[in-house]
Amino acid sequence: MDPSFVADADAVLARARTGDAAALESLYRAFEGPVYNVARRICRTTEDAEDVVQETFYEVCRSIGSFRGDGSLWGWIRTITASKALMRLRRNKYRDTDELDDQVTPMRREDTALRMDLEAALERLGETSRAVVWLHDVEGYTHEEIATMMGKTVSFSKSQLARAHARLRRWLGEEVPA
Amino acid sequence: MTHLTMDQLLSLREPGSEPGAAAAREHVEACPQCAAELDRLHQRVARLRALPTLRPSRNHWQAVELRRRRDIRRRRMRWGGAVGLALAASLAGITLAGSGAPDTAGAAVSASVASAEAPAVSEISAVRQRSQALEAMLNVYDPENRVIDGHTARVAQALEDRIARVDEELQSTGLEQDVPDHDAEVLQLWRERVGLLDALVDVHVTHASNVGL
Repeated sequence: MDPSFVADADAVLARARTGDAAALESLYRAFEGPVYNVARRICRTTEDAEDVVQETFYEVCRSIGSFRGDGSLWGWIRTITASKALMRLRRNKYRDTDELDDQVTPMRREDTALRMDLEAALERLGETSRAVVWLHDVEGYTHEEIATMMGKTVSFSKSQLARAHARLRRWLGEEVPA
Repeated sequence: MTHLTMDQLLSLREPGSEPGAAAAREHVEACPQCAAELDRLHQRVARLRALPTLRPSRNHWQAVELRRRRDIRRRRMRWGGAVGLALAASLAGITLAGSGAPDTAGAAVSASVASAEAPAVSEISAVRQRSQALEAMLNVYDPENRVIDGHTARVAQALEDRIARVDEELQSTGLEQDVPDHDAEVLQLWRERVGLLDALVDVHVTHASNVGL
């Protein structure tokens, strides 16, 4: 995040609430990186993630007056980002490719040449599983919060996380021989 | 020995006590294989958190700002139309009150109020019509879809911000109709709005003629 924004955050926020274009642009500059990162980790393509960035900041500009400061500004922006990214997933109706991945022959632990790195393994997860992993394990959302954002149940979120970790463990060659 | 499932291992990371967490915790303490699995889970999450932050390849602010401006302008035009209707209704009310039965005291008071207020109200109506004409002119010009230089964009942006502030004041003033000098204040705000819109039209038209469009 832009250090100059942090130093002057309250004043920038107050001006942004009045619709001041320069202040809104400062918000964009301060949060574009983190917003893109969350969007890109959830969406399959860079194009989708960039669209989510635009939709998120458009929403921030429209709704900044309703941000009451109960939580952190980043927490508020991050929730908008996650909702927009999940909305895009629903709209695109991506096929959850990890269903197919189950049929792939499991890699042997000693086959290090074929072992994926974490970035590739994360990318290989299905859309929904990857979103749950990222929102829960990295961004720190609870299963209740994720279920609300996705319009699903808490047990759906928990089972997606468990399946995703089982796959990551296998793809990363971390399985312990029985 | 039955080892813990991924579900059970994950439940150990949740805050609070999930059902069966105590038994799972006891098992982990006694089972080196599940303890190692839990440790790998912790490490995997730590590695996920340590993944590099991805950055967008290009700046999207201009696109966001363009959409925001278009939205403001649409709202402004809708709002201007709604205020116009409200003013037309109030003018009609005053006219009706003025032409009512002259033999009652109430009608006499209405007529005197109407005659005192009518000039201000009709002037507001005229200024408002000028404002609508300028908005229509801007709409035809369609500034969002034209290429303009940075200086012109900054000047236009500053003017649009000031118009937005005047609109906010007009909106809040509209809710305080019992305040003394209400009409004079509204008239002043509408005049200011027209002045700013005039300047905005000038900025765009001058720029267009300079670049030969």
